[in-house]
Parts: sequence; structure tokens; C-alpha cells
Amino acid sequence: MRDYVLLHINGRREEVHGEQLFQSLTDFLRYDRQLVGTKVVCAEGDCGSCCVLIGKPAGEAMEYRNVTACIQYVYQLDGCHVITIEGLKYAGQLSCVQESMVTCQGSQCGFCTPGFVVSLHAMLETSPKLTEPDMRLGLSGNLCRCTGYESIIKAGVETDIAKHRRANELYPPASFLGELKSAVGESVRVEHADRVFFKPTSVTEAVAFKARHAGCVVIAGGTDLGVVMNKGKLTPTVVMSLAGLTSLKNVQADGKTLSIGALVTLAEMDAACATYLPEMSRLLWRHGSPPIRNAATLAGNIANGSPIGDTMPGLYVLDAEIELTGSNGSRRVNINAFYTGYRKTVMTPDELITAVHIPLPAARDAYRLYKISKRFDLDISSFSAAFWMRTNGDVIESIHIAYGGVGANILRLRKTESLLIGQPIFDALIDRAAASVRSEITPISDVRGGKDYRLQLGENVLRKFFAELQVDAMLTPSPSTPGEGGGEESAAIHGNSAAQKNPHPALSRSTGRGFKANGQEHA
Amino acid sequence: MSAVGKNIPHDSARGHVTGESVFIDDMPPLKNELLVDFFPAPVASGKLKSIDLAEAAKVPGVVLLLSDKDIPGHKHFGPVFQDEHLLVEEQIVYLGDPCVLIAAESRQAIAAAKKKIKLDIDPATPIFGIEEAIEAKSFIGPLRTIMRGEPEKAMLAAECTLSGEFVIGGQEHFYLESQAVIAIPGEHGHITIHSSTQHPSEVQAMTAEILGVPFNHVVVHCKRMGGGFGGKETQAAQPAMMAALVASKTGRPARVVYNKDDDMRYTGKRHPFLNRYTVGYTRDGVITALRVDHYSNGGCTADLSLAVMERAMLHTDNAYYLPNVHITGQVCRTNLPSNTAFRGFGGPQGVAAIENIIESIALHLGIDAMEVRRRNLYGVDDRNVTPYGQVFKNNVLPQLFDELSRESDYANRRKQIDAANRTDRSHLRGLACTPVKFGISFTKQHLNQGNALVNVYTDGSVMVSHGGTEMGQGVNTRVRQLVADEFAIDWQNVYVTTTSTDKNHNTSPTAASTGTDLNGAAAVVACELIRGRLTAFAAQHFSDATAGLFASPGNIFFKDGHVYDDRVAGKKITFKELVAQAYLNRINLGERGFYTTPGVDYNRDTGKGTPFLYYTNGAAVSEVEIDRYTGEMRVTRVDLMMDIGQPINPGIDRGQVVGGFIQGMGWCTTEELKYGPGGELLSYSPTTYKIPNISDLPAVFNVRMLDNPNSTMSLKRSKAVGEPPLLLGLSVWAAVKNALSYVSPGTIPDLQLPATGEQILMLMTKLKSDGKANQPPLLPVAK
Repeated sequence: MRDYVLLHINGRREEVHGEQLFQSLTDFLRYDRQLVGTKVVCAEGDCGSCCVLIGKPAGEAMEYRNVTACIQYVYQLDGCHVITIEGLKYAGQLSCVQESMVTCQGSQCGFCTPGFVVSLHAMLETSPKLTEPDMRLGLSGNLCRCTGYESIIKAGVETDIAKHRRANELYPPASFLGELKSAVGESVRVEHADRVFFKPTSVTEAVAFKARHAGCVVIAGGTDLGVVMNKGKLTPTVVMSLAGLTSLKNVQADGKTLSIGALVTLAEMDAACATYLPEMSRLLWRHGSPPIRNAATLAGNIANGSPIGDTMPGLYVLDAEIELTGSNGSRRVNINAFYTGYRKTVMTPDELITAVHIPLPAARDAYRLYKISKRFDLDISSFSAAFWMRTNGDVIESIHIAYGGVGANILRLRKTESLLIGQPIFDALIDRAAASVRSEITPISDVRGGKDYRLQLGENVLRKFFAELQVDAMLTPSPSTPGEGGGEESAAIHGNSAAQKNPHPALSRSTGRGFKANGQEHA
Repeated sequence: MSAVGKNIPHDSARGHVTGESVFIDDMPPLKNELLVDFFPAPVASGKLKSIDLAEAAKVPGVVLLLSDKDIPGHKHFGPVFQDEHLLVEEQIVYLGDPCVLIAAESRQAIAAAKKKIKLDIDPATPIFGIEEAIEAKSFIGPLRTIMRGEPEKAMLAAECTLSGEFVIGGQEHFYLESQAVIAIPGEHGHITIHSSTQHPSEVQAMTAEILGVPFNHVVVHCKRMGGGFGGKETQAAQPAMMAALVASKTGRPARVVYNKDDDMRYTGKRHPFLNRYTVGYTRDGVITALRVDHYSNGGCTADLSLAVMERAMLHTDNAYYLPNVHITGQVCRTNLPSNTAFRGFGGPQGVAAIENIIESIALHLGIDAMEVRRRNLYGVDDRNVTPYGQVFKNNVLPQLFDELSRESDYANRRKQIDAANRTDRSHLRGLACTPVKFGISFTKQHLNQGNALVNVYTDGSVMVSHGGTEMGQGVNTRVRQLVADEFAIDWQNVYVTTTSTDKNHNTSPTAASTGTDLNGAAAVVACELIRGRLTAFAAQHFSDATAGLFASPGNIFFKDGHVYDDRVAGKKITFKELVAQAYLNRINLGERGFYTTPGVDYNRDTGKGTPFLYYTNGAAVSEVEIDRYTGEMRVTRVDLMMDIGQPINPGIDRGQVVGGFIQGMGWCTTEELKYGPGGELLSYSPTTYKIPNISDLPAVFNVRMLDNPNSTMSLKRSKAVGEPPLLLGLSVWAAVKNALSYVSPGTIPDLQLPATGEQILMLMTKLKSDGKANQPPLLPVAK
């Protein structure tokens, strides 16, 4: 059991002790290490100015991902290598990305620039070049107020990739990989004043610790907790990090169920969904931003329990099961029965979410997810919705509808569901269902939208779901085409579900059309 | 080899991309340094009866707590009226109004102290909205008027009329670096300030006055800002005064850095406007009479609100000739943080007013809005006098419209959109073109001055400082290029150093797009004086009585780092060697340049004058696509064309054009300020306040500069570029209005600004359900 956190910063080994652990990574970098190139603007992960590369041991090398440092706390980073903007030069020279940003006028005031440079480097960790469509997705976690982004995209496109060196070349892992690997597998306990930090290495240890410490805050990605702590709304005395529970990093799929371990990041989950649940993958591309998804976990999203959590409605309609592990072993709870009130759950104090099991829809089922937000990317939903439907001929055999942003929890629209079940799809039925939606949801007005707006969305998104199915059906000739089969040629062009035909979200979004189609209108 | 006209990198670029550029809070803490914050009033209006600091003072690490009575110097200040206070004396005028200054050793101590400060307040009823303020006659300054012709008579005679009311939202600057300052006490009551400010001289004056010391006791430095956009023109002064007060009282360095939430909650923004209008026009859509009454939400104090209103009024014509016009402007006083300068400075709100009217006229008459705009454009040789009497010279707008409508394929796309909107049941499209004619100069005459200091060193390198401040816009890079060319040396031999009030005094704010025009011109003046002396010296150097060459300055020229006498082929001296020798011969190698903009003045009482040296023009065609079910809007294509003369740095200027447009698009679409019932800003961080994201960049975005060699009014035939492109963001708003006009043909959509997805969906729904009931008739009413 160590009493300090071991990490490397720009190739330098650091043992962090005591009080220093209990601060955000940006405070540590900026105030304790005077590495002030990493900027803090919002301190809530919503602008990307603080992006750093965080490397974790993966096989024979390190795997580096872009993360917003402002909402990472130092105690989360045991066994990590942090590369900041200061660490990206090579042999004292600008990196090819930096060089291109200079010549393409990719920076104006310069405050967001380090974050963009890190994000561009991060994209090159996993992709051979920087294309405009990729950057429109990959840089959606970085805000710039000066350039209007055009020059940054140009800088990416014109980067001299031949000169690029990936992080594992900049920092050959041989000298430190072994130590970091063992560090990940070691438990850590640090006490300072009245504060305790614990990093267990087994679920049993974790559950026992949680049982002993009421009010223990459990942290995985920390993308929600980091915000709450930065804003002074929470100063936990006991924190337990799950980073050492490598067994929870599992993704399993058996054709019927997709199981996501509690430590699987949304980015890793997305990779699995691209194959097994493409509709969810499409949604995940609008969940937070790349640096958020590199840290955030599905389990954290569920534990946080926000009624506007992006992944939630899609799990509700599939009857996803949450695996809880406590002192008495594991149990599974259907997500529809998991919440008992606003951010309240059935979990007992000793229990941890260890995995989420998502039953996969059959090929013939319709499964659609919708997210409506003020801004398309890097925004929290004003309203979200999920539909799962199985039809027999043109009769609805079964349908599940779940909405977010319309109440204290995600809401299953059981009344509307029962109205639809067993009915053939036709316009008047959809009208009745739309009216039923209005009576079934009870949204409020807040900063993200008015009550009337959400009511209207509730009705319209249901209509949109059926309209899109109709168009899909036209594109895939089938004897059971529902409805009157109306809709003109142009509607057919626009309405197809990009995800199902085109699993790479970048392609469906390259013209900025997101949930719609491939943007053939300019072709 | 001229530097001017070349796309050289921003002078801070290498520092920016490596994180080595130093911003205020990147400066390592000085020994003994204190952190300073303020305790915000918890209500928007009321009387502060007493403050109890006893418990807060006991918090470990708290060093000093200051309230209004502790201020040694002036307690009231303001850029125009002296109606502002730093700390509440008695009247609380907005939620967040600073009541107590807290200086402490750590942020934790400040947070703890905040929990222990007790205020006894008699709350009063606040006013937040423009309509409430009008009702209560809560105004700042007089009602101003610009009038020409016989608007009332012309209105009665008009073939058609429309009237309405248009609400325009405010905008948060969202500079990434929040307000930040460090104050360092010196000897004999002197103080040094490092401030992220667009206006070092104002920070100097305000801090000197609040400390009760002469201006010459305060030196303000500004190396750079992490964005300004107007938000650091006047409102960098308050945090500077806070830091200075603490530094002066304690003798210790003091730092104020607002966090983003506080910065957004407690500092001013772009002014929300409300305008009421009546417009008269012919059946062909030509405006014959216009009445517009502007009201702005000034917030709690005057700040720059009157000047902002003035510019709104001066831009209500935008690009259109208005023969009979009556424009009024009234600033309203409310209990919001004092609204302030923001890129465009009222111009966007004035232009929004007329562009909304033009769209409505077009829909009313069933004539394409592009055509209505053409019919109302200022003429080149006639119909070219603005309502305030300035002649609009060098009008390129007709040419710009021709080229832009051709390049954007406007007519064909209009047909395609007409067809698509008839058949596409899932999406709705709209197309619009809006122009901009933006007046360049401060409308306050005396601000149109700049000074610069140029030092040539004996190694041939040149250091320049000027009164402008660098906020990313590239003023330092452009000055570098200008100075390099004056001496015909490589631009890398010129360094533009930190702006500071001891090198450049009584400076104007870096604002009104004039940074390069004023300070660059002043630097050129300084260079010309030095070059004159160097020329005389070089003439001596080349003179050779034996060869029959007398000293002839007229034959000396500077080129490619060398100085020549054109009478002798091959004879030259390097610039470096020339200055080294000039020094030995006791030639003065330093100079200050001073520049004033010629011919500008404006009488705000009569609403007449020639306030602008010239206009920067442009236009944009935007296309939007709206999801009929959800109201989600995407900008699918933008074609933008600007006349910025002959740019000093085409790359940097393009960055200003694109960045300005996207910022304007944000104001028109997703950027929405939402307040709670107590006046508390609900959208106070990027989580809830949505500036454009990279994915909001139009899918197709064509940007081109018009080739205009005839721009003769300014420096090196360049034109100011900082603000004008922002106003083209209105083309996106107009395209949304255009799209919505297809929902219920013949009905004019009552779209306000910003056009958020929520507003779009609710309006679409209303238009569908209202059908054609209760709407203005489709055809003009003949009289």
C-alpha cells in the first residue's frame, strides 16, 4: 500500500503526497509546477483550454488520450503519464502541428491555442492524418472565440504529417512503462488532515471500504464530480478511485447483450457500439466531447443520475440491467427500476455499479435515439428521447418510449406505449399518440428550454420517429411498409437513418447534418 | 521586398502554440502576494444598511477586508458620467455589486471569508427589462435623434406601410481569459499594474483616482489579452482598482483573477435592444419613410451605453438610402450589470433593426429580399448621403452585390429552395443576403488619436511601442510590418513590445476597429521622422566631392535592408551599419509619432456630422436548414465577401473576417442570456451559454475579399476589419426568418433575435396553427 500517487509529467517522475493530491490537475500543473501553458477558462470541462494528453500503460506501450485537465483530480492519475503543451516540442523544435498552427494563423489571442494543439496531437495518436470532417468531430471539445475555427482546420489539414512524432516516440516508454504498470496494480491510501483517499485494487476491497465509510465518494472518470468539486458544491472527505479495478475495464458482447464494465470510458464504449449498437454510437458522438468521453464512463453517467443524461433513455427502452456489487455479492437491477427519485437510486451504501448489461435490439427492431440541445455539439440535452419498437407486418407488436428532460428522472411513456401496442401504424394513431405524450410528460422551464418547448418536442419527436421509419421503409422495400407510403422523393433522400447504413458517425456528420442524412443535397 | 501585404505569422504565434505566451495569471506569484476577490451583493436593488465583517476577519489567511469607506480617493467614476462605484456605499444597483473586498493568502481563505460576511440589506424592487424601464421612465442620458427629410409626411404618402416591434438579445463576450490584473506597490506611493485591458490609460486614470494619487504614480502594462471583444475596454478597470487598493493598503502585490462564472455573472455584455418601427415604401419595395425608436438596456450605469446607442442610430441606415427618416435612441437604466462595449458597439443592433424591416417588406410584397435590398442600396454618385449628412464615398456595395450573387449562385439556389420547401416534409430551408456598411472612427472626436514610440538600436534592430493593445487581432503584427517597410528592413528585425502607459500616454482604447489605423499611422509618422534624419546622414555618407557628388537626401533610398544613393550604381550601406554610424555621429535614433484622424466630427445634439473617416463594407449570403420536427437549425452554406481595401496582413485579416462572422452568427443563433426572477444570470458558463462550436462552422464556407485598390482614405490603402464582419452574422438570422416564411406563405414570421432552436420550433408551430388568420394582407394596400 503506497501513501503517495506516482505519475509522470512530460517525462519526469513525480511522487505526489498529501494535500497536493486533493486538487485538480490544472491547479497542480499551474500553481505547484508552474506549467502554465495549460489554461483554465471554465473549470468544468466545457471549453477544452486545459486539454492534456494522459497516457496509461497498454501492453508494450502507453496509450495516450486527450482529457480536460481541469476536471481531473491528481489522485485519479496514479500510474499515468501526463503530457502538457510544454511537453509537445521535439528536440526543442515546434511539433509539426505547432508549426502549422503558426503558419496558418491558427491562433489569435492564444488562450485556447494550447488546448487545440493538444487535441490535434491527440487525434494523431489514433489517426494517420487530420481531415476536415475528422476535425469537426475531434475538436468539438475545444472552444475558440477568435478564429471562427477556419484557420485551425486549415492548420490541421496542412500539417506536415511526415514529421509527426507520436507520444510514444516523444517519450519512449521503455524506461517508465514497467513502473507505471505496477503502479496501476498497487493500492494507494493517502490521509491528509481530515481527508482520505483510497485506490483499491479489487472489487472486494472497494466494497468493503465503501461499506466502512458512509458518504464515500466514488470516482471513475470524474467528469461530473470534477465540476461539482470545482464549483465548491462538494468537498468530499473520503474519496475512492476505481482506477485500480482493471477487471471493470471489460466490454463483452455475445450477440444478444452488450456488457459494459464500470471503468469502460464512453470512448471505448463507442468503439463497441459502432459494431453492436450503432444508434448508440451515433448518440455518443454528441455526448460531451472527445476529451470528456475519454474520461467519462457509462456507470458514472448512471450513478450521477441526471434526468438529462444522454445515454439514459436509450438504456431504458432496451431494459438495460445495472450490475450492482456489494458485501453480499452481485445483483442486477433493471434501469427502469433503478431510480427512486431525483438523483436517488436503489443502491445500498456498500454497493458499487460494476457493469451495465444492454440487451441488443434484433435486426428487425427499430431503435432510435434523439438528442435536442441548444448547440449541436458539446451541449447538455434540453430534451432527449429513445424509441424501441418491434412490428409484425404493420402492427406494432411492442414499443418502448423513454424521454429525458421532462421530469425528475427519465420517463417511460407507458400510457402512450399501451395506446400504440397492437395497433396498425396510421396517421390518426400517431396523432393520438402525440396527444397522449403531451398529457403524459410534465416538463418544467429552465435555462435549457421552456415547458412549452419541451412539450412540443415531446410530441414532435414521436412524429419524427414514425416519419423516419416510414422513409426507411421506403428505402428498404418490404411488404410491410407502414402508413400510406406518402412522402416525396426529396424526403426519402433526407430521411434515411445514416447510422444504420453508415456506422462511422464522421461520415454522417461531415456536412454538419448530424442525426440526419449524408448531406447529399450538395452532392 | 515589402512586409505590408504579406501573410506573416502573428507575432505571438510561436508562444501561443507552445503555451509559452504569458497571460496575467501565468505570471508566477510574487513573494508575499495576496489574492483579492469581492463579496457580491445578493440582491439586484436595495439599500446596504450595514456590513458585519467581524467573523470574516477571523478567518485564518484573511489579511484585509475593505468596504466603501476605506477608499482613499474618488469614490465615483465612469468613462462618461461619474455614476459608478467600485464598492457599494449605500445603493445596491445590480446583483453582484461588490460590497466588500477580500484580500487573503489563499483562495480557500477567500472562500471561507465569503461564508462569514454578513450584510444587512433593505431590498428594493428592481427593474430588469427594457419595457419595465420605459414604463418607469428609468433612463440614462437624453433621448437622441437623427432626422432627415419629412418622415411624417412621407409616411402618410407611402404606398405601403408596416410597423412592428423587434427584440434583440444581448451577448456575453466570452473572452477566454477572464478579467485579470496584478498590482505591485512601489516606492513613494507609486504602483505598477499588469492588466488584461483594452484601455491601459483608463486603468491608469481610474486606479490613480481611487487611490487619490496623480496619474504619474501609476504605470499600466498590457502585454496581451486572452480576448477582449470590447469587454475589457472599460470593465478591466474595476478589478484593477481592487488590486491597486489592496496593494496600496498592504504594501503587498495583489492579484485579481475572476473565475469564468463570476466574470459572466457580474460584468457587462452587449446591450439588448428593443426597437419599434414604422416603415413606408413603394409597391416596388423602395423605402420612402422610416421611423425607428431604439431602446437599449444599459444596465445599472452609463458606462459606454450612450456611445453604443449613438452607433446603433448611425447604423440604422446600414447600406440603404433613406430619404425621409426619423431615428431616436434612448438608453434604459436597469438593475443588471452595466452593459458595455462589444465588437460592433451598437452597430449590430442598428443594422439588425433595418435588416428585419427589409425582410418583412420583401415578404409583404412577395419580392425576393435580395432584390428589395438592391433597390434600396446607397447609390454611387447619387442617393449617397447618410441621414446624418456624411457623404458615402467609394461605394462598392453594388459591385459587391453583383459579384456575390453570381458567386453564390443566389438565383438558382432560391429556385431550388422554393421547390424543396414545397416538397420536403422533414426540413425547411432559407436563404438571405445581408450587407454591412460600417463606419470607421470613434464617434467621440477626441479619441481619434494615436501615438507610438520607435527606437532604433545600434545593431539595426527596432523596438516599437504604441498605444494599441494586442488581444489576438494582430495589431502588433501589422505595426511590425508597417515599421519594417518604413526602414525597408526584414520584419523580423522589428519587435513590438508591451503596451504601457509610461511609454505611450493618454492613449485611446483599442476599440472601434481603429487599433491599426491610429497606432500604425502614428508609428509610421515616427519612422518617417527617424528616416528623415537617417536620410540626411546617409546623404552625407555617400557624398564625395572628388566624384562630384554633393550630399543629396533626395537621392537616398531604403531597400532590402540597405540604403542607396541612386546616383551611384552599386554604392550601398546596410541599414545596420548606417544606424551604427549615425549613432556615433550623435543622430537621434528614437522618435515618437502622433496621429490624428482628419476631418471627423459629429454633433450629437443635431444628429449631423461626418463621424467616420470611411466605411468598411461587405455582404454575406447564408443558407440554413431547419428540422421541421425539432426546430434544430444548421447553417449549410455561407458565401461572404468583404471590402477591406488592401490588407496589411491578408492572413490575419481573414482571421478577423471569419472569426467576426462566426461570433456574429453566435449572437444571432445560440447565444442566449437567460435570467432568473431575481436578475441572476442563469446561463453563466459554457455549459449553459453556447458560443459557436467548430461543428457549427458552415458546411460550405466561401470567404473572399473584394479587390478594391481605390480605398485611399487610410493607411496603405487598408481598411479596418475588426468589427464589420460580425454584422454579417445577421445573414444567418435573416435566412432563418426567410425559411420560416415558407411555413405559412404570406405571413411574416415574428422572429426575434437570437433565433434559437426553441424560438424556431415555437414560431413554426404557431405559424402552422395560425395559418393565415390575423396576418397582414399579402398584397400591398393601395392608398
